[in-house]
Amino acid sequence: MRLGTVVEWGDLLQVVWSSLVAGLGVTFAFSLTLLGATRAVDLRRDGHAGAASVFAVVMVVGLIATAAAIVFGIVVMTSKN
Amino acid sequence: MDSDAIVVIVVATALAFDFTNGFHDTANVVATSISTRAMNPRLAVIYAAILNFVGAFLSLAVAATIASGIVEADLITPQIVFGGLVGAIAWNLITWYFGLPSSSSHALIGGVVGAALVAEGTDAVISDGLIGKVAVPALVAPILAFVVGGLAILIAYRLVGRLRPGPVTRGFRIGQVLSGGMLALAHGTNDAQKTMGVITLALIANGNLDSGATTPDWVIVSAASAIALGTYFGGWRIIRTMGSRIIKMDAAQGFAAQGAGAAVILASTHVGFPLSTTHTISGAVMGAGAAKRFSAVRWGVAGNIVVAWVLTLPAAAGIGAVTYGITRVFGTGAVGPAVVSVLILIAVGAAFARRLQQGSPITAAES
Repeated sequence: MRLGTVVEWGDLLQVVWSSLVAGLGVTFAFSLTLLGATRAVDLRRDGHAGAASVFAVVMVVGLIATAAAIVFGIVVMTSKN
Repeated sequence: MDSDAIVVIVVATALAFDFTNGFHDTANVVATSISTRAMNPRLAVIYAAILNFVGAFLSLAVAATIASGIVEADLITPQIVFGGLVGAIAWNLITWYFGLPSSSSHALIGGVVGAALVAEGTDAVISDGLIGKVAVPALVAPILAFVVGGLAILIAYRLVGRLRPGPVTRGFRIGQVLSGGMLALAHGTNDAQKTMGVITLALIANGNLDSGATTPDWVIVSAASAIALGTYFGGWRIIRTMGSRIIKMDAAQGFAAQGAGAAVILASTHVGFPLSTTHTISGAVMGAGAAKRFSAVRWGVAGNIVVAWVLTLPAAAGIGAVTYGITRVFGTGAVGPAVVSVLILIAVGAAFARRLQQGSPITAAES
């Protein structure tokens, strides 16, 4: 019995790449949400309405990406492998 | 009649194991949310229990691995399954008593394999499945969670590190409600399925189901309920003792660690790997801690986890084998498992009484 033949490399690689994409992607998207929200508030308070709007869009995009990633994860989980 | 009795005992024992699994693992699921004050302890435990229950319905891939990928279902008897369950429960209780961070999942697999080896020899064990689906993923998952947790917190700090800390901390605390929920969902789906797999294996062994049959609905619902109840009741003890156990981390680290742990567990569950959720979550927490400051991680705890990891499979296998031997002294019927069950209940009662007498736990208000 050789380790190389009994290990399910395809499944293992799928776990590695999907964990990296999901774990890092959700953190990136949610951090983007916080960056957008915080900067939008600060810039609006300082009177830079245009720049504040750009960061508000960043916040919305980050929020949508976070929600989409979570929903996608659950859909993948509930579908048969 | 006798065969029905033994199945009832095995199912009850499996659900008891599932309950202890939830009880044992509550801290892993909720500790990060509580320590960063993302959620209050009472709410965190109820939330985790509900999502543990929901998570159990997400997938059956791990249950299929346990039922047919590790031992030969055709050679397994309900007594072997019972021996395996007792091996797992006993090892869980021993490690709980001495405070060792062991894996319920490895204990369950070790117990079943040990009892099967003694009963039917090496033919009963699918060694390819044991190595390919259990041992290798068990090594990879905590390391992967460590890497994902570490990289995730570096990304988060890169993006929000120079912003005002107040709103960022509040934001990540809200995010932790999501990431903590995903972690509870992941825990429920991977761990509850192990019990579903074992019950399915016992039903196949007893002739109630055909070999290769899918897990019945009543098994899914009962396993989901048992782990959720265990999480809920385990939570109260964890809340009372958490003050001395939790690693200090900020909300961003908590979010990164929970997200990394959930991602690895959910991805592994999808392909049917029955991993240790305890070790995976620990790896993610250590990764998020080490990326900020290497010395912040209690590396002694990491060492204990490695020691417990090495010991769990053989120790649970040994206890499972001995239990199977004891039950066979009473024949092939339900008498042996019934006698062992009574002895376990007495031992568990004594252990609880002794443990509760030792020291007064810290209350939630003090933590």
